[in-house]
Amino acid sequence: MVSRLRAFRVEINGALYNVSMDQMGKDKFRAQVGEAFFEMEAVSTGAITTWLVRHADETVRGETMALPNDRVDVWLAGIPFPATVQTIGTGGYSVPPEEHRQRSIGGQVRALMPGRITSVLVKKDELVKAGTPLLILEAMKMQNEIGSPIAGKVKSISVREGATVKKDSVLITIE
Amino acid sequence: MKLLIANRGEIALRIIRTCRKLGVRTVLVYSEADRESLPLRYADERYPLPGSTPSETYLNIPKLVKAAKDTNCDAVHPGYGFLSEELDFVKACEENGLAFIGPSSTALEKLGNKLQARTTMKDCGVPVIPGSDSALADEHEAAEIAERIGYPVILKAVYGGGGRGMRIADEADEVRRFFRITTLESASAFGRKEIYIEKRLESPRHVEIQAIADRHGKVVSLGERECSIQRRHQKLLEEAPSVALDADQRDKLNDAAVKGLSAAGYTNAGTVEFLLEKTGRFYFLEVNKRLQVEHLVSELTTRIDLVEEQLKVVQNESLELSQNEIRVNGWAINCRINAEDPRANFVPSPGTVIRYHPPTGPGVRIDSALYSGCNVPEYYDSLIAKLATWGVNRSDAIQRMKIALDETEIIGVPTTIPLHRELMRDETFVRGNFDTTYLNEFLPRLDEKILEYEKYAAVVAAAGKAKAPSTRNGEATTKPSRWRTMARTQLMSNSNRGG
Repeated sequence: MVSRLRAFRVEINGALYNVSMDQMGKDKFRAQVGEAFFEMEAVSTGAITTWLVRHADETVRGETMALPNDRVDVWLAGIPFPATVQTIGTGGYSVPPEEHRQRSIGGQVRALMPGRITSVLVKKDELVKAGTPLLILEAMKMQNEIGSPIAGKVKSISVREGATVKKDSVLITIE
Repeated sequence: MKLLIANRGEIALRIIRTCRKLGVRTVLVYSEADRESLPLRYADERYPLPGSTPSETYLNIPKLVKAAKDTNCDAVHPGYGFLSEELDFVKACEENGLAFIGPSSTALEKLGNKLQARTTMKDCGVPVIPGSDSALADEHEAAEIAERIGYPVILKAVYGGGGRGMRIADEADEVRRFFRITTLESASAFGRKEIYIEKRLESPRHVEIQAIADRHGKVVSLGERECSIQRRHQKLLEEAPSVALDADQRDKLNDAAVKGLSAAGYTNAGTVEFLLEKTGRFYFLEVNKRLQVEHLVSELTTRIDLVEEQLKVVQNESLELSQNEIRVNGWAINCRINAEDPRANFVPSPGTVIRYHPPTGPGVRIDSALYSGCNVPEYYDSLIAKLATWGVNRSDAIQRMKIALDETEIIGVPTTIPLHRELMRDETFVRGNFDTTYLNEFLPRLDEKILEYEKYAAVVAAAGKAKAPSTRNGEATTKPSRWRTMARTQLMSNSNRGG
């Protein structure tokens, strides 16, 4: 089979990876990220495709589910890595662009999980340091202290004690 | 006997399995969030409890007693967590003629809470950790006692259990701050807000003795479990036996446990927990007055069905087991698979499991109520599966665990599988040279590993995209079935030959 070289830009959790990929067979691929090489084989296909990924002397299993709008849900060793994948061209290997990872940091404190706010520990306009406990979110019997991601001033508090919150809802904004 | 199971998830299923073996009829209560749960399929009867929060359902004593009476049950198994060690529940059962599978209310009172248990043990000569002898009045008293016994200290829920409701404080400020959180957590998790304080030992191991006691004064130890792999006092991995004990220490711990439980007039399955210092000195930690999450490792090494023994004890039978016949055979390891995200500080991660494939094979046991498409509710404990392996020795059990973890597929909710996967490859763990502080040391390495996984995820994402069937208007076009293609090819070649 004639190999097909393609390049992708993959975004996961705010980090960007430039992937060059070479299709070695119907279900086999070889990929490069930075200096690292990976071999992949699809061992089960369907709505969810199961992959064996080899890198150095290690093999890890992964699953993918392709979604509309360039989105691909990926699980590695069961950890979800929701990804956005853009095809940026076909062609030979170029020098792999420097892989860069950027994490977005904002002042919006969101609920990492659904639960109930058992305690709000700060007031509006209060000055906080990074790590200052802002509130306590109860989920699955655990009281989770949620700290400020940055130093700043409490701009707004969007929840009250006793409130039930959904995953990802904004709880507090720091600026 | 007809048994009401006042619990849910994997432990409800675990209990039902033994009941089915013995021909004991079961009634399983279930909350609205659990109306599709797996154990409901295997119980003889189902009894709905309106609502989903624990206090409306599995913590609701009047509703549970009514359920037992409505269904003509004569016994109640509380499982672990929820009401398993709740005196009011035991009393309610006793008053309503229901046999509670656990200790009597009298024995429970003697060991009833962590403070009373300290006193009971102290009185029969078992060493206890320095700390407060009564519940703390407020944060000032907490700080005062902390100053006296020396830092670091642990704030603990008097009525707590299962590793919940505990915080470590290194200084007075922290004691005051954690006083509030621990009190809240305790009130919410155990319905009682009292907390107390104990000195935190330097890097101890956590070793516990599994015992079972009948109503005729016989207490038998099934040997120890090593439970030092903990994160924030939450056990994540247990094994039996422990690499840390020599024959002499093993005897001492077994004796202390049996002596303590006898003194309390304890009946049914129970566990006496100890902290073991590097010097070999041990201290009583607490008694778990229930069937524990990790009981399965003792079952694997002793070949005893603990739930079966529990049911015999509650029917007033004498234990047929005798101490000198108990043999610990080989090695067993249990990995707790929790719906928790190892990338995000292990936050609970409820949600839908879109695919579940359990491992099997020689020496593999998985206790779980998962199935493909099931929901992991946000209301309850995050434990979703217990994966245990048995081997002729420790390294055999570890090898089997590696494979079993690799075969386990749980897609949809993040779990603690990556942690166990890396632990099985960790030199220190494999050597057995760890204590209760080890996981903290190990976790940064796990973070690095997970960051590495992200790179794997990136290439798999690209491959997933490259392999995805072409899409039109965002919808995948149907793929031709390979079976159908094969069948057609065969049909054509057959008809060719025929023609």
